[in-house]
Amino acid sequence: MEQQAPSLAVILLSEDLEKLHAGALVGSVASMSGMTVNVFVTMNALKSFRKDSFETTDFITGTIGKEMLAKKIPLFDSLLQEGKDMGELNIYGCALAMDIMDWQEEDMIDVFDGVIGVTKFLGMTQGATVITM
Amino acid sequence: MSEVQVTKSIDARGAYCPGPLMELVKGIKTAQVGDIVEVLSTDKGSAVDIPEWVNKMGHEIAYLENDGDEFKIAVKKAK
Repeated sequence: MEQQAPSLAVILLSEDLEKLHAGALVGSVASMSGMTVNVFVTMNALKSFRKDSFETTDFITGTIGKEMLAKKIPLFDSLLQEGKDMGELNIYGCALAMDIMDWQEEDMIDVFDGVIGVTKFLGMTQGATVITM
Repeated sequence: MSEVQVTKSIDARGAYCPGPLMELVKGIKTAQVGDIVEVLSTDKGSAVDIPEWVNKMGHEIAYLENDGDEFKIAVKKAK
């Protein structure tokens, strides 16, 4: 049987800072541990990946998220970038949500590897463990 | 313990999980096989997570010491 690196798919749906952070944390550590990680950013999660959201720190937060911002810890963008630098982690924006909002890739922080549809994402993550946040 | 010759020491005290692990991964990546990379941490999670990562990646723990809230973990790059 063909051997391949274990694969993880992380689907980020929510704009809640805690969910984005938890998904990014699992993805980045998985990447550093030798897994191939593909992250699909869709629906409201995309809003938090916009450059203007970072400029104004416009995130939806609960108790822990507020404290994360107050303590200025590295956020999900930094975790994802570390995962990219230290292993194989790819990030894709959802074509549907981008189209609906008329957002362009250049509106987003510079971590994306492209804007794709679900069919492509399913193709690249076949057999992967899936985490949805 | 202290006879181990540390090649590089990383001070990640004060960093939240998984900061110390990330710093260690960076240190190991740029190290030579046989080098010993030590990380200082105040994060309890890292004391558990770092040995887990080291075993998974096939490296070796040279030592793991703790003094109060502070951990000192040294890793030998095996491959």
